[in-house]
Order: sequence, then C-alpha cells, then structure tokens
Amino acid sequence: MTTEFNPKIVAFVCNWCSYAGADKAGGQRLDYAHNVELIRVMCSGRVTPSFVMEAFEKGADGVMVLGCHPGDCHYRTGNYKAKRRFTLFQKMLSQFGVDPRRFKLDWVAAGEGAKFQKVSNEITEEVKKLGPLKLTGFVKERGNDL
Amino acid sequence: MEEKKKTILYLCNCGKNIAEFINMDELQTWAKSQGNIDAVEIHDLLCAPNGKSFFKEKLNASKAENVIIAACSPKMHEATFSKLAEEASVNSGRVLMANIREQCSWVTKDKEHATKKAKHLISAALAKAPFLENIEHRSLECLTDLLIIGGGVAGIEAAITASRAGRKVYIVDKNISLGGHVITTEEVAPHMECAPCMLAPRLAMIKNDPNIQVITNAEVKAVRGFKGNFEAKIKVKKRYIENSCIGCEACFPVCPVERKSEFHLGMGSTKAVYTLFPGSVPAAAIIDDSLCKHFSDKSCNDACVKECPFGSINFEQTDSELIVKVGAVVVASGFDSFNPAKHPSTATHLKYGELNNVYTINEFERLAASNGPSGGRVLLKDGTSPKNVAVIHCVGSRREDILNYCSGTCCVSATKVGHMLRKQDKEIKVINVHNDLSFATPEEYSFYTKERTAGTDYRRSTDQSAVKLASNGKAIKVSAPGITSFDADMVILATGAIPAKSTPELASLLNIETDKFGFFKSASSLLEKTLSTIDGIHVVGSAQHPASVGDSIALAHSATAEILSSLMPGRKIELEVATATIDKERCAGCKLCISVCPYSAVVFNSEKKISEVIEAICRGCGTCTASCPSGASKARMFTNEQIAAEIGGLFK
Repeated sequence: MTTEFNPKIVAFVCNWCSYAGADKAGGQRLDYAHNVELIRVMCSGRVTPSFVMEAFEKGADGVMVLGCHPGDCHYRTGNYKAKRRFTLFQKMLSQFGVDPRRFKLDWVAAGEGAKFQKVSNEITEEVKKLGPLKLTGFVKERGNDL
Repeated sequence: MEEKKKTILYLCNCGKNIAEFINMDELQTWAKSQGNIDAVEIHDLLCAPNGKSFFKEKLNASKAENVIIAACSPKMHEATFSKLAEEASVNSGRVLMANIREQCSWVTKDKEHATKKAKHLISAALAKAPFLENIEHRSLECLTDLLIIGGGVAGIEAAITASRAGRKVYIVDKNISLGGHVITTEEVAPHMECAPCMLAPRLAMIKNDPNIQVITNAEVKAVRGFKGNFEAKIKVKKRYIENSCIGCEACFPVCPVERKSEFHLGMGSTKAVYTLFPGSVPAAAIIDDSLCKHFSDKSCNDACVKECPFGSINFEQTDSELIVKVGAVVVASGFDSFNPAKHPSTATHLKYGELNNVYTINEFERLAASNGPSGGRVLLKDGTSPKNVAVIHCVGSRREDILNYCSGTCCVSATKVGHMLRKQDKEIKVINVHNDLSFATPEEYSFYTKERTAGTDYRRSTDQSAVKLASNGKAIKVSAPGITSFDADMVILATGAIPAKSTPELASLLNIETDKFGFFKSASSLLEKTLSTIDGIHVVGSAQHPASVGDSIALAHSATAEILSSLMPGRKIELEVATATIDKERCAGCKLCISVCPYSAVVFNSEKKISEVIEAICRGCGTCTASCPSGASKARMFTNEQIAAEIGGLFK
C-alpha cells in the first residue's frame, strides 16, 4: 500500500454533455485519475455552491462542475447561469479557507472523452500539489456536523 | 424521509467488461455487509434475455421497492431497467443505476482502485435511495391544429400537407396575399420550373380548402402556451374591402391615385386600390389609406364604390383581432435580401440607387417576369435592350464586416441571369464576376456548366468586397482586383439573404432563439432540424437559414410530418416527469426562479404572491431549484436532499 496522496475529486456533470463525455471516455478506455467520482445532474445550472461546499466539507480535495459548451446547453442557458454563479463563487472560496485552484468549472461535450480525461487528470495533478484539503473555522465545524 | 423501504442491489458482470476489472466477489461481500441493502443479486449479463427474467424474478421475490443496478451507464440501460421494474410494479422513480462500467471498470487500470471506486458509486446510490420518490406519469389532452406564420412556399406546403391529414390550419401573412418570394419569380433554377405555374394550383387548393383559414394583412401579436396547447392572438389589419371581393379589378381603372407597386419592388405602379397580382389568394383587394383621396383630402367621388359589383368596399372597416387555439406553430416567415445601399462599404463601391441600370437580383427577377413591370422584357432605363450585362456575386456575403456567411442560393440565381437574358436576345453578353462559386447539388452544378458553355463568362476576382462600379459616360465601368476592368450597360447585384425584418420580434413573442447569423435556431442541426428551441414550434424555409425553394418545401414537409405524428387526435401527450415544483408554504415570492427559467415555465401568482411552475412547459433542468433561496423549489429526481445524500455516499 503506497502512501502517495491521491486527491478525491467530486465532479458534478450535466446529463446531456459532460456525463455523456465521461461515458465516451469510458467507451474509448481513456483511463484517468481513479479518485474522480461523478454526480449526475440534468444541467450544470442545477448545481448550487452549497453542493460544492458540501463536497468539500465531506472530504473532497477538489471539485469540478462540468457542463455543455456555451451555446450548446440542452436547456438553452443553464450553463451560462452556472458560469455566472461559479465565477462569483470561485472568488469567495478563499474566504472559506479553500484555495480557488481546488475548484474548476469547465465545458465537456458529449463527444469529448479525451477532454474529460484531460480535465480530470489536470485537476488531480493541481490538487496533488496543494495537498489534502484542511478546512478550518466554521466550515470545518459545519463539515463535522454533516 | 419516508418509512424505510426495502432496497435490492443488482451487480452486473457485463461479461468480462466489469468482472475483469473489478473484484466482484469482494464487491458482493462488501454489499452484503451494508446495513441498508436487503438483497444483493449478481448476474453475468443483466440486459440479456435471461438477465431480464432474472431481474424481474429476483425483484418480485425480494419485495424491494428501491432498485439499484450497478452496471453500465444509465444512458445505456436506465430505460430498460425502469421498464422492467414498472412491469414488476416498482415505480420507475425508484430505480437508480451506479455506473461501474463507463465510469469505473473501463477507465481505472488498477483492480483495487476500481473496486474501491465501485463501492463509492454504489454507496452514493444507496445514500440517495431513501430519498427517492415515486414519479407520476402524466399526460395531457392536446390540440392538433396548426398555426403557420408566413404564407410563402414553405408555409403553403405545410398548410396543404397538414390539411390533407384533416387538421385545421391557420395561415397568417403580413402581406395582403399569399405567395412570398417565390411568386415574384418567373422560373426556379436550376430546372427552370415556372414558379407561378407551380404555385397557382397550390393557391387554388388553399382557397378551396375548408380546413385552411387564410389570414393576410395580419400579424401574430402574442403566443402563449406549450406544445399541444397554444393560444395565439392575431391582429388583422383593415383593408377597407370585404371578403366578398373576388378581385375582378373593376374598381382599378376608376381610381385616380397611382402608387408604387411593392410586388414589383417599386418598379411598377398600382392604383390606391390594388391586389398584388391577378388570381391572388385571398382575392380581395386592399385600399392604401395613406394615399386614397377618400381619406387624404376627401376630394374623391368614390367611383370605386359605384363600380364594385359586389358592394365590397367599406371605408368604415376597422382592424380586428382573432384568437386561435392550436397544438403546434410553424414559423415560415422567410427572409429579406441584403440592401447594398444600406451599408457604407457596398453603398460606396456599388453605388446602388445612384447609378442607372444597377439592379439587385430580386429586381432582375421582376424585370424578367412575364407579369413584371416591363412585361418580361429586361430593358435599360432608356427603353433599349441591354448588350453587356455584368452580374456581381456575393454582394454583402462572405464578409466579416457584413454577412459572415454564404447564402448558398445566390450563385444559382446569378447563373440564371445569363440564361434568361439569352432567352430574350441571344446576342446579350453576360459576365459574372465572382470570387468563389457555391452549387449545392449535381443539378445546380450542371446548370452552371451548361450556362457557361452557352456563353456566360465567369471571371474570378481576388477580392469580391473590392468590386467597384463607376459611371463611364453612358456605360458602367466594372472593376475588381484580379480582373481587367470592363464596361457594362446593366449590372445585376447577387445580394445575400438576411433574416426577415420580423425575426427578432417573432423570436421574442414565441420565446425561441436565433442563431449567430440572426436566423431562427434549430433545436439540433440534424435530428430535430425543423424544431425551434421550444417544443411544438417548428421553423422552416429561409426563416431557418437561406434555403432553396426545394429545400424550403422539404423542410416544410418535414416539420409537418413531425407535428402530425406527435400530435394525434385522441392521443394524449406524455409530460416530462422530472419537472420542478414549488412548495407554496415555503415560497417567499422572490421571483428568482422566474428570472432564471429558460422556458418561461415559472409564473407569478399575484393573488397568492408566490411563484408557480407550469409543469407542461417545464423541461426539468433544475436551474430554478438551484436559484431558490428558501428551498421551496424542488427539482424532481434531483432534489437538494437527494444530491446531498449522494455526495455523502461518495465518502462512505
């Protein structure tokens, strides 16, 4: 058993593009960091900052929100809503004691298996450098209660 | 949380696809040790016929009400297992899949890691299970009639096709009669089919069809509702002539006022009482009240009233409003043509409107038409026949600063010019100045090669945006980089197609999107080609993109087929099951959900001061739920509680 740090990444993925993109990576046998685990939602617009915080509080070292490319949203504009929401959220993350590099919003289309592999490996490498997430203050206390 | 329901977990080996990369024995032992699983069943291939019977048999025996299948992607077999579960009397809202193939066994090299990941994915599903809710399959009665916006060739074909299937059709046009652009052309390239000969019988069919209500000189003002249930408000503008008018034209000669004819693009004239062309549908004429002397200075003796054999003239007529209820809407609002005088670059270079004998391709169509302002003779302003005609391709098109696209239809029209002129006089020399040529079909290309052989001279410039026209005595000097300048006595500008002027307003009232070029956007460029970005509203013809006559007709038929087969009299339509809902006790009426809904599916109940979801419109994206600050909005099947539980499951 190695003691190497393998960061746990939770990825919220939209049903139509990014979940399908992850499936595509599977179909092409494009292996990626094994600690990247997915939560399916219908649209990236469904994801709230509280889900992301919940993931951090429960033990995620990094979190991704992946949606359809701009202009391709299955629900017209959900990904733009996600973009607005998480651009602001990312700026607030450091106030919660979380390095903003632990969070990533990106677009993966249904055909982009290779891109899914790439973003998964990239955030894993990035977070590996940052080390395990150590929450402090009220965020930690909230995490302990969950 | 509801009272504890029994949960069954299926593990599928998927042949070797899962079993080779995940330690299934360990997974099974682990699963059996989990307190929240009542039965664990493993099968070699759950989607095979014997796997399906195994699935149902074990489900019945277990009396479980929550079902978790750890297997392939839900995109592959969620529907399969949901159906099997329903057959075993388990609600499909209680069926969950853990994707341990595409997102685990196929992408994780190390078996130990893969087994651990599989446990996490199953744990997440298990954590979500207690929060699952039954879903209700709901269906709705639907209307099956059609509203068609635009009475050009696409609208006409959609109307005839739908009526043939017994549907009532309302066809609305802003013009005073049907026919659109095609009726203004003489022949349709490349087959040079006579356009009026093609359309006249279609117009007659519409006129005699009790299923089709023609509503012209009218505008759609509002459309509310959803697929299967639209209500449209149509404003019918006054024309001062009753429907009893048969278009006999008896009033025309006695009218003292002349005005420019829009049918001839301002190149011919009509009286103040006029029709677009003889045999129009509807037949009724209209009075131009901005010019008619009855209205302007009351100096008229109203001779038209005395001449009319049918008593059809009614100066007191007013605008009226019509409400129609339909199941689907077809937008066939067509296109406009780029006006070279309206952009500084083309205005300076081409001097359209300044130089004599410079016409757009549409004006040429009218000049060459036998029912045109010059009786089908293409003549110079001085009345003589042209001898040297230049045709300029790509006017406004394929330029980053104007139209950053190719209309794909103008090259064939530009090629038509030589064909029609040589029919008039074999000696007319025609030079087409182009930079590139676009012919979409073998027939179009062969038309081009034929015309080239017959005498049209194609000269390739190196920059079509730099083509210049200048007065040179009586002639027009044509110059362009890459070719030697030459003199012409007439110049035809092959202008690109642009979105119809009405497009932005229509898009806004229908709540449908436009693309980056300004045309109406398709739901998908391939499978749902004619569907707009709202269910039940289809876009056909050049309203969607510049389209040939043939393609416009094909799109119209395609949209009609979609509508006829999805809205059937007596058959209900299934609603989306994973819709959002708002808890009226918790809603604070902040309207955030209303502002983020891409479909206008959330409305404010001003009496109760809360927001409400129109579930027939909701598509279930859950964006409203994400925006709700009070937790009143719930996205079915993806509730806050369910997702939170799922997140927690990943860390078990």
